[in-house]
Amino acid sequence: MVLEVKGMKFLLDRKYYIKDGSHIWLKKEGNLVKIGMDAFFARMTNPLTALNVTSKQVKSGEEIGSFESSKFVSKIYSPLSGDIISVNDDILNNPQKINENPYDSWIFVMKPDKNVEEDKYIIEEKDKILKWIKKEIKRFEAGN
Amino acid sequence: MNLFNLGELNWRQTQLIYHALAYKNIEGLVLDSSKNRYVCVSLHQNPRDELDIDYCKKNKIGIFRREIGGGIVLLDNDQIFYNLIINRNHPKVPYAPDNFFRKFLQPVIQTYNELGISVEFRPLCDLIVDGKKISGNGGGEIGECKVLAGSILLDFDYKLMAQLMLLPNGIQKKFLELMQNNLTTVKKELGFIPLKKNICSILATKFENLIGPFTNRRIDSEINKKMIELNKQYSTDNWLYQRGTKQIGKEVKIREGVFLFYNLFNTQKGSVESTFEIKDNKVKKVTFSNSKILSHIAKKKLLDKFVGQKYDKDNLVNEITELIINNGVINGA
Repeated sequence: MVLEVKGMKFLLDRKYYIKDGSHIWLKKEGNLVKIGMDAFFARMTNPLTALNVTSKQVKSGEEIGSFESSKFVSKIYSPLSGDIISVNDDILNNPQKINENPYDSWIFVMKPDKNVEEDKYIIEEKDKILKWIKKEIKRFEAGN
Repeated sequence: MNLFNLGELNWRQTQLIYHALAYKNIEGLVLDSSKNRYVCVSLHQNPRDELDIDYCKKNKIGIFRREIGGGIVLLDNDQIFYNLIINRNHPKVPYAPDNFFRKFLQPVIQTYNELGISVEFRPLCDLIVDGKKISGNGGGEIGECKVLAGSILLDFDYKLMAQLMLLPNGIQKKFLELMQNNLTTVKKELGFIPLKKNICSILATKFENLIGPFTNRRIDSEINKKMIELNKQYSTDNWLYQRGTKQIGKEVKIREGVFLFYNLFNTQKGSVESTFEIKDNKVKKVTFSNSKILSHIAKKKLLDKFVGQKYDKDNLVNEITELIINNGVINGA
């Protein structure tokens, strides 16, 4: 299942973290969660020139790493509380792969803390994703 | 909005001030100059990959790794630095970096214009006079704020910039030549350097017109405390030499659209160093370092294939490797 908006695809087999302009996808695999960036991020940051993950244990909303595009460094915030189990070195060394294929380019895998409720900034239903993406596109097109 | 018109500061303070303000979520415009020359790399660069560290140490050139982007810059007393620190949710802050630079570099363009230098914006964030760069800029998020950092180039030490870069000798010369042809300064354009305080006054007025009225402010104890705390963090080798992004070959940018890319191809008979001069994202010139390894025919094939073509680094490296191997000239490795 795929949602397509203005040529950008949003896979519906995963959730999205949307706080403060984040464009992070989360895909549950057993008790772990694979995490990467969505198609909107891929388009807006093309070409992505650097990507780094610096933390190993984080709380939801905390800074977990950074990326650079257009000579501008932005931060990546963790969608979950928990431990980072593994980091995809291939993507850190070749961040442009995210621009080319965001959903195959996972960045890190987390083991979320137990008994932590998912926050309101994680969405999954098609309608919610569509509403959010439209808002993001509008925000971008307004130049603000 | 606060105006920190600080005059000349110690080199580390010129970086610490805007980091501290951003972490304290204190919005403002900082205008200052460094008493000493130093080199500053961006967050994702490792100075060991980019700079001749021994040369810097021998010549007492400090190195600072900042938290924002924009690449390597040589900073000294012949520049006026401007840093805009603004909360990322401020209604006047554009969402996308391109728009952020385009909007907040307008006061800088207007300042150059008022000085009599006709400057235009070139995406991503260069300011250009007759095709030559006159101001480099970078930006990023620090704490709750977005930060613009750049400088008015009054004068520039081209030779020193080339010397402190970690580049092979031949490429260093080419880099110097390209810089001299593509980078200009206020002194070169006007024939003299106006007073710094006058330039700062124009900058402040132009930013004020865009953002709103300023209140003059100095570095108080609260800000100073944060600067001291950050200085400790940024002084450690762990911070300074943190992992950079690994790259194939090396790109050395002169201005947007003009740069050198070089790559070493290791072979069983030795290495071949290739240098590509890129202008407006097209391969303008290709040179190879080792004529004994690469035959005349192979060289010609490579030149015919690449000169005038659109620059795509990964594609270039892959195709050269393939050509070298397929032509049996050498065993590409």
